[in-house]
Amino acid sequence: MHEYDKKILSFISRNKSATIQDIEKNLGIEPSAVSSVIERLASQDAIEVSKQEEYAIKITDEGKEYLNSGFPEEVLIKEIKHIGGNRDLSLIIGNIAVSWAKKNRWIEIKDGKARLTKEGEKISNSFEYKPRELLKTIAESPKQGYATIVKERRDEIDVLVKRNIIEIKQHNVVKEISITKKGIALLSSEEKGIGQLTRDAITSEKWRKEGFRQYNISAETEKIYPARMHPLHEFLNYIRDIWVGMGFTEVSGPIVESAFWSFDALFSPQDHPTRDMQDTFFLSNPRTIDIDDVALLNRVKEKHEKGWGDTWKEEIAKQSVLRTHTTSVTAHYMKKFGNAAKGDYPIKLFSIGRAFRNESIDYKHLAEFYQTDGIVIGDNLTLANLMYIMKSFYKNLGIKAEFMPSYFPFVEPGLQVYYYDEKKKDTIELNGAGIIRKEITDAMGTNKTILAWGIGLERPMFNFMKMDSIVELYKNDIGWLRNREELKL
Amino acid sequence: MAVVSFALRDFIEYGFDEMKLREIIPKLGMEIESIKDKELSIDITPNRPDLLDFVGIARAIGCFSKPKEQPVYRINGESGIEVKVGSAVKDIRPYASCFVVKKANLKSDRLKNLINFTEKLASTYGRKRKKMAIGLHNLDAISGKALIYDAAAEKRFVPLGFKKSMDFNEIMKKHDKGIEYSDFAEFKKNPVYPYLEDSEKVLAMIPITNSEATKVTESTKSLLVFVDGTSEKIVKQVADMLACSFIDSNAEVYSCRVKYAKQAHTFPELSYQEIKVRCSRAEGTIGIEMENSQTALYARKMGYNAERFADYLNVKVQPYRVDVLNEQDVIEDIAMAYGYDRIAPVPVVGHSAGSEEDTTKRNERMSMLMLGLGFTEAMNMYLTNEKNNFDNMNRKYDKKSVLSLMNSKTEFISILRTSVLPSLLSNLSYSFKEKMPQRLFEIGFVFAMKEKVKEGINLAFVSEHAKANFSEAKSYVESIFSGTGFKISEHKDPSFIDGRCASVSVDGKTVGVFGEIHPSVLKNFKLEEPVVAAEIILDENIVYGV
Repeated sequence: MHEYDKKILSFISRNKSATIQDIEKNLGIEPSAVSSVIERLASQDAIEVSKQEEYAIKITDEGKEYLNSGFPEEVLIKEIKHIGGNRDLSLIIGNIAVSWAKKNRWIEIKDGKARLTKEGEKISNSFEYKPRELLKTIAESPKQGYATIVKERRDEIDVLVKRNIIEIKQHNVVKEISITKKGIALLSSEEKGIGQLTRDAITSEKWRKEGFRQYNISAETEKIYPARMHPLHEFLNYIRDIWVGMGFTEVSGPIVESAFWSFDALFSPQDHPTRDMQDTFFLSNPRTIDIDDVALLNRVKEKHEKGWGDTWKEEIAKQSVLRTHTTSVTAHYMKKFGNAAKGDYPIKLFSIGRAFRNESIDYKHLAEFYQTDGIVIGDNLTLANLMYIMKSFYKNLGIKAEFMPSYFPFVEPGLQVYYYDEKKKDTIELNGAGIIRKEITDAMGTNKTILAWGIGLERPMFNFMKMDSIVELYKNDIGWLRNREELKL
Repeated sequence: MAVVSFALRDFIEYGFDEMKLREIIPKLGMEIESIKDKELSIDITPNRPDLLDFVGIARAIGCFSKPKEQPVYRINGESGIEVKVGSAVKDIRPYASCFVVKKANLKSDRLKNLINFTEKLASTYGRKRKKMAIGLHNLDAISGKALIYDAAAEKRFVPLGFKKSMDFNEIMKKHDKGIEYSDFAEFKKNPVYPYLEDSEKVLAMIPITNSEATKVTESTKSLLVFVDGTSEKIVKQVADMLACSFIDSNAEVYSCRVKYAKQAHTFPELSYQEIKVRCSRAEGTIGIEMENSQTALYARKMGYNAERFADYLNVKVQPYRVDVLNEQDVIEDIAMAYGYDRIAPVPVVGHSAGSEEDTTKRNERMSMLMLGLGFTEAMNMYLTNEKNNFDNMNRKYDKKSVLSLMNSKTEFISILRTSVLPSLLSNLSYSFKEKMPQRLFEIGFVFAMKEKVKEGINLAFVSEHAKANFSEAKSYVESIFSGTGFKISEHKDPSFIDGRCASVSVDGKTVGVFGEIHPSVLKNFKLEEPVVAAEIILDENIVYGV
């Protein structure tokens, strides 16, 4: 018998019965250890455990809102009453408020219009709605009171849980423990042998004489979680390893940028729709970011005005933005390495980083996302070279990349990388790539050829992570981080 | 991107069935969005507004499948119509072009296709009519040959789709297009509206609506096409594009004069740009070798008039192509005609050893250290709000030192975070059901404004459990800094309990703060167990290699 098992069993035996707190207090054993011993002893029928149900109830944010401003069905009733009868429901049919109001027989729906029933009239006058009253009771009740509420109003509680108004967790708490006949017998015929192996037992070799006690290997043990890397980090490292393995050097650049580096330097016209407030985050502090290189500004201005036919304005280029793509990093390095590193061409660079778009956030859309961009600067570089690089990159991700022509303002020729999805029987776009336009390389002061691409990492990442909701990714729920599947990269 | 839809039956007339369309359209660089209900929808990239037109698409597919010598687009004569541009449009919408079409056939789908084309063209290439708009009028309903394009605060006419006459202000308030375009800045500040009129009546209020009197129907044979806008270049291009479309539909095109105060232009210009394309350059860009005889054929497949000389092609760009600026654009077209699927990938010559950035390497080392200490990694958004970043942390802030957004669509995000710790405390609030202890860390960007934008990297950790206390946090901090000659000193920070907070410094510079999180902060984050935490500066201001 385990040392703790014996101690605890004999304590219970001495006191006829005991609670967990008694045991903890008197024997000074850790609560988690006490629980596992109690479970083990109970499984051996050495003790009898009487349990009591206890509940933890948490009102969700939705619930809190309901508590303050009423349930949606109540709000609906109020509204119908307010507009005096018929309410056109054609737009909100299937809405939660409508379905509950119907379920409660508060409204009748005819020809898409809702009318209060007698019951509905009554409720709209009194506003005594049982679920809300229950929610209020829960909110005001001390924790100890939960058991009674649950016992008396189980069905109603279940409805609130289903509607995600409250979350409820049930524990069975040990109330009293008493020893059984078998327990008494076990205690008296206490096995001989070493329990916890000690330094003393090892050095004195007393185990040779005393032998070991047998443990119950099926007894439950405490759960341990490893500390883990965030799956997104693992994935980004994998992408980085691919580039490094292909001979690329990592670079990075500013996240907060001037519109110049995000757009103008890449020959995106100043009235292009992606530069709209709807798509791009502009900053109110700082409002502008200066570009010191006047000669560069002038070259870009000249290329824009010649190419697009509109007057190019420096104040538009100076607006500060959150970079809309990591291609802004590429733009910086085109200039830096265009002519500086004579003799060492081709120069192969990549970057991995976050880019931003002005989205209203939901389970599919985030305002922040990762991209990887790359360039090769050199002489005699071809579209065929670019295709080779793209194919190699995706091969490492298990994707067979193919190409079709497409248009991106900063490249010419441009191409769209895609793959054929066997399951969906459809072609799926991967990324855009191409040879940087002369207008851009000229403005950057280089006569080299530059191959370039920008890859959104959300799609390949989703393939690996098997996720339904992107929001999960940045929530960092430790339960999710601990229990997530291993990435198979 | 703009999606346009065409009836499949219209293509059948040209001899293109669904299979042919599926094969050729992607080779032209356009994506088929869908083919259903006898309708083809294509995603047209913004460089090819000419393909928003059914005639344009049919022309491109026709050339590609059966390359032949291209027609030279010419006008049939002068119409004698002159548009006088008045002074009031000079500052708001100064440019116009105009031409006349005769013997047009707008029966069956043709009118619909034409209207769809002009609408799409004005909304994409014309930036929602702001930069350019197109008006189509029945020529037979126009009186006289002298038209006036000008602007005025008030005029009356019967707008398209209405029975009674309205004045400009009424149209802005009642006409659906008037309401749609009422947010034009130039209308707001000084309400004068551009218009087109003949000797008797207003033909259009621009860019809002045409008049009912000159409405174009399926039986209209003669048209006046009027293009106006803020870009001289685009107004000219669009006249060319539309004229080519009419000529390709077997109609006749006659020019009009547009007379400004000091000069006059005749439209459509139908001018051809000539470009010399070096064959070696084309092959060198694409990475292929082409037979001599083939190069010109590839250019013709894409609609160019092309003539081969010893080592170059002389290419004439059709007036409807607005995207061809120079040699590289023609080379792309040659690559398309050659076929991207036929280009064999070739490795880049020249060996290079790849490497990670030093910052990445440092971050990796720190991550491994934290994982080894039993902290699970979190990754959070850089965008947050003042409440989470400051108020919940009991921290005061100077608005000037925070990078803030001008145009967020949601109140959840309004600034870039200045600290990683609030993100981690928010994370803990999602995990209240999980087993304690809960230990998280993050290495990530933080932002500040100190004369210039500062982008830094911080390491933060949190440890939440019933017995979390200062000495645990200190143990971790000491372990992270071991071997650096660090110093720990008393520190005050409103996020932490007074007397249980310390700073850590290296070489006399404070690089971190740690301790027990104040219970009022815990409450703000809806946390019910003690939390100890630290935030350490790894880079105060990253100096990028640019």
